[in-house]
Amino acid sequence: MKLLRKLFDDIIVMLEPDEAANADPLAAMVGIDSEAVTPSDSAVRRLLPDAVRNDDGEALEFRRLTERSLREEKIGVLRAGALLLERSPLTLTAEQAQQLARAMNDVRLVLADRLDIKTDDDAARLHNVADVEDAEDVESYLALVYNFVTWLQEGLVQALLGTRPA
Amino acid sequence: MDVMTVGTLERTDQLGETEVRQLSAMDVPWVVIVWNDPVNLMSYVSYVFQTYFGYSEAKAKKLMLEVHELGRSVVSTGSREKVERDTVAMHSYGLWATFQTADAE
Repeated sequence: MKLLRKLFDDIIVMLEPDEAANADPLAAMVGIDSEAVTPSDSAVRRLLPDAVRNDDGEALEFRRLTERSLREEKIGVLRAGALLLERSPLTLTAEQAQQLARAMNDVRLVLADRLDIKTDDDAARLHNVADVEDAEDVESYLALVYNFVTWLQEGLVQALLGTRPA
Repeated sequence: MDVMTVGTLERTDQLGETEVRQLSAMDVPWVVIVWNDPVNLMSYVSYVFQTYFGYSEAKAKKLMLEVHELGRSVVSTGSREKVERDTVAMHSYGLWATFQTADAE
């Protein structure tokens, strides 16, 4: 769980706005960031995607109105998730389980970007990396972590859906 | 898509024909589209549709399968304000969503 907490923390850092300090406090309060630009990191772009297709101007305008609150909401969920992981034994309410599942989803989106998972076939290819002994380099280690978080998230979601894991 | 006409139909009782026509033009419904990606689990996507939109298990599964198999699905419709809100909510869950007018589909 230490690993997972570290991953949550890493993503919090990725999501923290760059220039929170010198932003207009009133605008920041209502979640507006007139300086927001499309993130250059593809993983951050996947966490905070364009809400409008085929219209960069409109997409940027919408990003300036909404991205800051979205960043803050995601950071809140990741922080809550990291705190939950410190519990032992780990028992969860449905709401807490949802927070963990959402935090894990963001972790998986970032790892998938780093692993260049773009198609279902890419994802299937990495399924084979299931054992520490298969992890020979950074990529296969990341794949191992990705598969582990996937497995955890699937179990959690199955529990949330009230069905038994397949 | 029958959902989208409800708002306009209700108004026909109260307004003259010209006003209704204007309203219809302004009331072009908006849609939220969720796009397929290889990361989000099918179970998770179903769960999000049930939890956030309050859809039944069957409806959530149908929409999830559309996303998975057809690459995209219209998951909600309504005013611009509503679809903006829904799109940001989908992003908060990590789903890849965009909004647009229904006629731009």
